[in-house]
Amino acid sequence: MSDVVLELKDAAFRHSISSRSLSKPFGKIQGTGIYSINLKLRKGQILGLVGPNGAGKTTLMRVLAGIFPIQKGEIMYGDSKTNPLLPTSELTLRSVVGHMPEQVRWQGKVSVKRTLEDIAEMQGVAYRVDGILTIVGLSEMKDSQLDQLSQGMRQRLTLATALLGSPKILLLDEPFNGLDPVAIRAFEQLLQELAMKGVSIIISSHRVAGMVHIVDRLALLHKGQLLIEGTLKDIENEFELDSRIEIQGPGKIPDFEKILQGSISILESQNTEHGWTVIIRTKDDSLLKKLVSSNIEISTWKVKDADIVEMICAATGQDLDEIGFGVVSSTMMPYKSRGEEE
Amino acid sequence: MSGYKKIRSVAMRHFSNKLFSVRMAIMLPILILFIPGMAWGFSDPKVMLPGGITPSSATEVMFYTSLGIVFGATMCAVLLSFDGVSKDRASGVLEIKLSQPMQRSHQSVALVIGHWLAILVPTWVLWAISFVIVNYRMGDWPSLLDGIVSFSSVALILLWYVLFSLIASSHAREQGTSIAFGIGIWFLFTFLWALVTTMVAFASGVSIGEENDPKWIDLEGILDLFSPNGVFHHLLETRLDDAERGVSPLITWTVALIWSILPWYWFNSRMNTIQP
Repeated sequence: MSDVVLELKDAAFRHSISSRSLSKPFGKIQGTGIYSINLKLRKGQILGLVGPNGAGKTTLMRVLAGIFPIQKGEIMYGDSKTNPLLPTSELTLRSVVGHMPEQVRWQGKVSVKRTLEDIAEMQGVAYRVDGILTIVGLSEMKDSQLDQLSQGMRQRLTLATALLGSPKILLLDEPFNGLDPVAIRAFEQLLQELAMKGVSIIISSHRVAGMVHIVDRLALLHKGQLLIEGTLKDIENEFELDSRIEIQGPGKIPDFEKILQGSISILESQNTEHGWTVIIRTKDDSLLKKLVSSNIEISTWKVKDADIVEMICAATGQDLDEIGFGVVSSTMMPYKSRGEEE
Repeated sequence: MSGYKKIRSVAMRHFSNKLFSVRMAIMLPILILFIPGMAWGFSDPKVMLPGGITPSSATEVMFYTSLGIVFGATMCAVLLSFDGVSKDRASGVLEIKLSQPMQRSHQSVALVIGHWLAILVPTWVLWAISFVIVNYRMGDWPSLLDGIVSFSSVALILLWYVLFSLIASSHAREQGTSIAFGIGIWFLFTFLWALVTTMVAFASGVSIGEENDPKWIDLEGILDLFSPNGVFHHLLETRLDDAERGVSPLITWTVALIWSILPWYWFNSRMNTIQP
């Protein structure tokens, strides 16, 4: 887990969009994209790429898949001491990366097996696809037409195309969409097995909760910029989103500050139909004991995980409303770091 | 695997997928009706064409039969290729294909060759059957050179229409635009070109439709170089004794080369920059 296989150095890519006017009917301007991304991916690491809609996750994945050529910076690849980390071309990237795009709508009268063989042919190897169809659970559907596949089955077929050619890096864009819970569990297990074998994996998703238990590290992307990268614990610590506990109970809200005498900070408190709910932040391990000994009746006690909205709010210094408007806005003025506008 | 082998194997995949498609099964009766059907009709010894023309040789009959290529095979080429890129793009499959370790220019060559072969092979088979029919009815074979020119011309006009369709398909975001562009091009060159020729003749002060007026014949001959169907007929006319429209075979073949290279270059450039 220590060798860096892929590194982005100040990588940037901006989409070109039409800007028509009478004087320039075919004019183009630079639109949204990704800006100065610095990222390292290690051998056998599972990296979760998270961010809201429009953050640039798919663009970054396409850059890593060799589909979009970077306009600035460098992409470096190396998989061993004999093949050290060096700037690489898109074609080389494509030979080591397995890319699973989001929501591919496979359609037509062609069979599943034939479709997979068509893609395998582009890799230039006579490939037996039966093994991969078995891995993704499509062996019984191999002679079915694409039109007969459910959304989940289509997702499995897309995964099968990414696994062709034994890639050293797997890029998975929203891979769990459309999969049933059993398939999700099997898929996660497969990813962990691949990581154990040294395959590096990047999973892009707008849901943190769905993948915290399988990823080694998280990278938070917003408005085309990488806000932070590290373990979930690191990120929670950085943004003070750790050690948060949600407590619920009946009756009126107790005076926690008086009872616990300043060892906590109350983040949120409210009266509800059935009693009260508070969210507190504390590193005091004896909190529960203190509350019980103070005769406070507790109906629910749970450790609160950080979600992506909280992380972005913390990273950018914005509140929820601003984040919402920011996502739909076409203005690309990314936030360099917490609260600091570039 | 070398780039050439990869292109060949991927092209063969496209070829067989299209050749054995439902669309081809629908189009095959149309091709049979248009190509061997016309050969059968035009080789009838009693046939009398408009203008009192009666074809007297196998080469001449195949020249008239080439109308079946212009009206039928080119339309089938468009219908077979209009979604060559747009379907994959709309469904997201193009993103998977672009992420494969195969150069984009190689992918574009494989696409062109695959789609071209899918319409070329059945058309050539029917074209060859037409030769046999003409021989059966008239007892005459075209010369070897006539045959080579004839088969090459058929191949070229199909290539041009496949290229137009693929270019449209690579620019269109959805199928409707793609097929509208393909059919529009086909309609322009198949039906509307006569109108364009007439308008240019009128603007140039040339008598319109005067078949014996050398000015009209020359103008029509030159304007036909700007249409793939016109160039196709110019190519076939290089083997007819009494066809003289003021365009030399050298110019005809040069223009045919330009019609092949420019669209291919355009399509290749487009595929090099296309985004999923």
